[in-house]
Amino acid sequence: MSAIDALYIFDEHNALLFDHTYTNRPPSPSVLLPLYLQQPSPRPSLIYLPSFTPPILCYSIIQDNILFLSPCSSSAEPLLVLEFLHRVADALQEFLGSPLMATKITSSYDIIAQIAAEIADAGIVCQSEANALRDVVETGSGVLKNLLDSIGASASSPALSISGGAGSSSIPAALRSQLQPAQSSQGSAVPWRRSNVRHTSNELYVDFVESLFVTLAPSGRALSAFAHGSIMFNCKVSGVPDLVLNLMTDGKGAGMGTKGEQLQRVMERVVFHPCVRLNRWKSDGSLSFVPPDGKFALCGYEVDLLGPDAPLTVSNPRAKSTSGLDLPVSIDVSTGLGTNGADFEVRITQPVRSLATASLQSNLGPQGRSKPGQSGRPQQPVEDITIHVPIPPNVRNVSDLRPSKGEAHWNPATSMVEWHVLEKDVGPSGVALRCTVQGKPAEEDEEFTAGGVMNGVTATTYDYDDDVQTGDTSRLGNQASSAEINGSSADSQRQRLERNRELMPTSATLSFSLKGSLPSGLRVESLAVDNKRSRGLGADIKPYKGVKYLTVSRKGIEMRC
Amino acid sequence: MESVARLSSLLETARDLTLEAARDAAVPRKFATRALPPQQIKKLLDSRNERDILDGLRRVVAMRYASPPQPTLPFFPAVLKTLSTPYPSTRPLVYNYLVHHAEQDPDTALLAINTIQKSLSDPNPAIRAMALKTMSAIRVPVISQIVSLAIKKGVSDLSPLVRKAAALACVKCVRLDPNTRPLVEEALATLLADKQYFVVGAAVQAFAEICPTRLDLIHPVYRRLCKMVVDMDEWGQLAVLHLMTTYARNCFPQRTQKVKRAQTREQQSRDFYEDLEDKQEEYDDAPYLDPDLDLFLISIQPLLQSRNSAVIVSVARAYLYLAPPTHIHHIIGPLIALLRSPQDIQQIALYNIVQVCLQKPELFTPHLRHFLIHATEASSIWRLKLEVLTLLFPHSSKDNQDLILAELDHFSRGQDMELVRESVRAIGRCAQSSSAQTSRRCLSLLLKQVHSPDETLVGEAIEVVRHLIQRAPDEHRKTVVRLAKNLDTLTSSTARASIIWLVGEFAGFEPEDNIAADVLRILVKKYADETNEVKAQIVLLAAKVYLHHLNNTSEARKALQGTDEPTTEDPDESPVTLLYQHTMLLARYTPSYDLRDRARLFRALLANPSSTELASLLLLAPKPVPQAPSPSEARKIFTLGSASLVVGEGLREDEGIPDWSESEEESESGEEEESEYETDSEEDEKAGLVK
Repeated sequence: MSAIDALYIFDEHNALLFDHTYTNRPPSPSVLLPLYLQQPSPRPSLIYLPSFTPPILCYSIIQDNILFLSPCSSSAEPLLVLEFLHRVADALQEFLGSPLMATKITSSYDIIAQIAAEIADAGIVCQSEANALRDVVETGSGVLKNLLDSIGASASSPALSISGGAGSSSIPAALRSQLQPAQSSQGSAVPWRRSNVRHTSNELYVDFVESLFVTLAPSGRALSAFAHGSIMFNCKVSGVPDLVLNLMTDGKGAGMGTKGEQLQRVMERVVFHPCVRLNRWKSDGSLSFVPPDGKFALCGYEVDLLGPDAPLTVSNPRAKSTSGLDLPVSIDVSTGLGTNGADFEVRITQPVRSLATASLQSNLGPQGRSKPGQSGRPQQPVEDITIHVPIPPNVRNVSDLRPSKGEAHWNPATSMVEWHVLEKDVGPSGVALRCTVQGKPAEEDEEFTAGGVMNGVTATTYDYDDDVQTGDTSRLGNQASSAEINGSSADSQRQRLERNRELMPTSATLSFSLKGSLPSGLRVESLAVDNKRSRGLGADIKPYKGVKYLTVSRKGIEMRC
Repeated sequence: MESVARLSSLLETARDLTLEAARDAAVPRKFATRALPPQQIKKLLDSRNERDILDGLRRVVAMRYASPPQPTLPFFPAVLKTLSTPYPSTRPLVYNYLVHHAEQDPDTALLAINTIQKSLSDPNPAIRAMALKTMSAIRVPVISQIVSLAIKKGVSDLSPLVRKAAALACVKCVRLDPNTRPLVEEALATLLADKQYFVVGAAVQAFAEICPTRLDLIHPVYRRLCKMVVDMDEWGQLAVLHLMTTYARNCFPQRTQKVKRAQTREQQSRDFYEDLEDKQEEYDDAPYLDPDLDLFLISIQPLLQSRNSAVIVSVARAYLYLAPPTHIHHIIGPLIALLRSPQDIQQIALYNIVQVCLQKPELFTPHLRHFLIHATEASSIWRLKLEVLTLLFPHSSKDNQDLILAELDHFSRGQDMELVRESVRAIGRCAQSSSAQTSRRCLSLLLKQVHSPDETLVGEAIEVVRHLIQRAPDEHRKTVVRLAKNLDTLTSSTARASIIWLVGEFAGFEPEDNIAADVLRILVKKYADETNEVKAQIVLLAAKVYLHHLNNTSEARKALQGTDEPTTEDPDESPVTLLYQHTMLLARYTPSYDLRDRARLFRALLANPSSTELASLLLLAPKPVPQAPSPSEARKIFTLGSASLVVGEGLREDEGIPDWSESEEESESGEEEESEYETDSEEDEKAGLVK
């Protein structure tokens, strides 16, 4: 029914790193890989290979340049297999650290073999929680042997280090947590949390990440603006804590129902980690959960920054900016510049930002990572400002790149102009990048021109009335005839402009990251450990809490032109 | 959908990653670089020191996966010998090795069975579970009996971990030896009724794998499954959703119920919904949603907030194929949420969205903005997004239609030729499915394309324009004239051929003021320079023009004969006739056989100026209006969420969703069984509460 036949992992040079066969007799990696590679890039995530008996469905994902392939002879649900591959990648990251690298994989085959066998049993996906895997996969002394030897701790027996748990405080918590015994007796009562979690310093980190996806029309009007948000949680708390995370909105939808309803209006299409109690979310908008140990994605949501439901443009003073959005950097592209129309210019400016944005910074406790948001506090810098301009394929060369600040270069392989700017260079007046493009050599162009003129003569021989609303063909005819009259120089100029218009980029994308504020205006109101429901955590222990807000755009802001 | 790996790459800056990468590359783990000779590895394995044994095992495992793989079979006895040591930490690696090599050397593998069997009664449940898991995975058919006995024992184990392992072992056991099936099915029946939800989840997965047709095993546990599905892990949920969709179609026939009866039973009145399919029923009868089916539909609703995209699509499938239409709006938002996922999942999700969109386009219109195309997207993504946009177009408001058209216009002016072509086709589809007003706008957008230097694009655009004109010929006479003017500048032969064909089609209108003959006159001058495709159309045009001319003159002659006036006009001297004869002469000396053949046919058809009936029948027949269906229309027969839907081909094992069961008897027997176990399930409910 839905069995996965095998799992193959390849590195960025398509050399086989790992193969694990679950069931049946799947085609070997060396057979499958060429069939995958012969697909045009970007390769589809599902490839149907009917040449095998039985026919094979080949699924693939790429994570950190590592290719995961999985052949299936049965017609499983495609998303099931893809999710499985993503979970494998997640699990490998959990055990080997992020990012995945070929060297890490080749040096820990014992762990990967166990992970692969645990996640799917005989091809049936059965255990994908990283924490549950921690309980069963034997990492033993090997992984940390060298490290522990160097700090003089005995790691020969995993069972030993847990018995001396509280005493051996010389070992950092992160390391000790990896030394939990593989075979804890009963397994955990909470399927997503491993058993017997102990940390010397209890810490809770919440990271809000919102990725911007904005499409701007040539006029600067936003066609669509979404922020895809995720709440990343890093929980290092002993025992079985029960947490309550309360969020608040930035006044959006105020006066419209309870806080929970406001939240649900801002955070649309929410998905949750299975630990979140859905009833609490529905009733009062608070997130109540027993977290897994370590890093996990608590929740994903999206915010429509334009939508009718979020009265952003009405109630917010920031709406005065042209697009109705409060982008920390704005971008403008103009094309067809210069005498020949062969230049284009990208200009970015940084609008003077109101204090409302600066006050988005939130805090959680005095030792929180972000400090209280007093107005007038210097705002966080916009980092990693990068502009990408895709260049049409018929451009021969981008001959002249003139950035007023920063570094710009043209990559013919990806046909992209990439421009990096530092934030301090971008002021309200802005910085600009001007490029000149070169198309095909001029000979073809001459022929084209000659043909145009000749046809232009005959175009006037029809004397039927033209449709009123079009005017397009007649205008062309007029232009052609007038050009003929004015002589060939004006005509070739027009042709050159026309031809250069084909070489102009049609869009430019803006990437940046901004710490400390979110476009949705979400903030953490409180993060509390429910002491009544938690177990294994002393009542007097106050975990260290930290909240971080991050707005990123990875080619997400697209300016059309 | 939310992948930790993806998010952490957003959080960590590129600099950190490179630093870490450099560090990791600089200090690889020691044993990976330094290979030991086999003798020394054997010595490590034979040691009594746990650390040495682990080290030896790791080396063996690494050797197996290394590229090129090194032979590890010689270590088999030595590896198995380590099972006798008391260290539990070595077990996972030994078991892993054993499962992998058992098939190659079954005799040696059997040596381990005894030790594993002993572990089956270990006091530590995790060790018991692992032993059961390993034993069932050893692919040596001799042990199938022992495995089935171990499963039987595992089913009644106190620890849920072992019971879950037993459920998964069922699959492996049947694969190993199909004869064990009766025993295994019995064990599965017990496991399906387990109290622990993750055991049940695994049992349902095994059920789907072993005996998906034995729905009688599901009857007694149906309600409990519905209640437990929220708590299961994602993979169990997927199996349950899949199973229940089939189950509901088989066991809940679509019935109607007298409205009278509803009035007597107030509590059931909410189960009455709008008519689903039985439009022919008397309106006394309302379709009746089985309370059990309703229970299922309600209990899977929270799953729409799952982080697993497969679960969301599975719930969508259950709602689409089982629920009355009033429920479907629940699935729209979650489906759109899938667009946030990584590209590979996004693509599959879009196939599913298109599938739902084909059936319920109006529900997606508020979410139009999600389908706007980004310039950086892969072709597989924008292709599907374009399709959604065109599907939504006829259902959108005026503003949104403007937005879609502006969007398509933008992309039809882009540089990616593939995208331009698809946008032009999409404009054509929009024009087809909309009112005359918007259709005209689409047409003017398309006509702009005519001046593009890309020949294929122009051909494509003209083709679409031709389709549009054919749909409403009367409105577009002037458009044809405009198109004909472009014949002077156009170079694309497809486009030229299309236009000439159109001119020929319109040659019969307004005989007094028709451009067809004039167009023919100009075209014939350059006949020799045209491509064959265009030449063929010129010849056809000549035939049509001449035929119309013949028809007109014969009518005129008839009218004249009515007034009894002698005809003085000699047909041979009419310019049209001369033009026709000239064209035929040109065609006769064309290199192409096909063209010469055609010309001969037309000459024969039109040889006798007085009888043109047959020629009229052949040349002036009304042409059918072409339809350009949405590209995914052909995939409509495939089930939502299936691989067939993505591949676009019916795959062997995709049977799709069965039809609703017809037979009343079957369902009633099912219900009786259900009611028999009703008390059972209520008890379990309490048990569930205690848990």
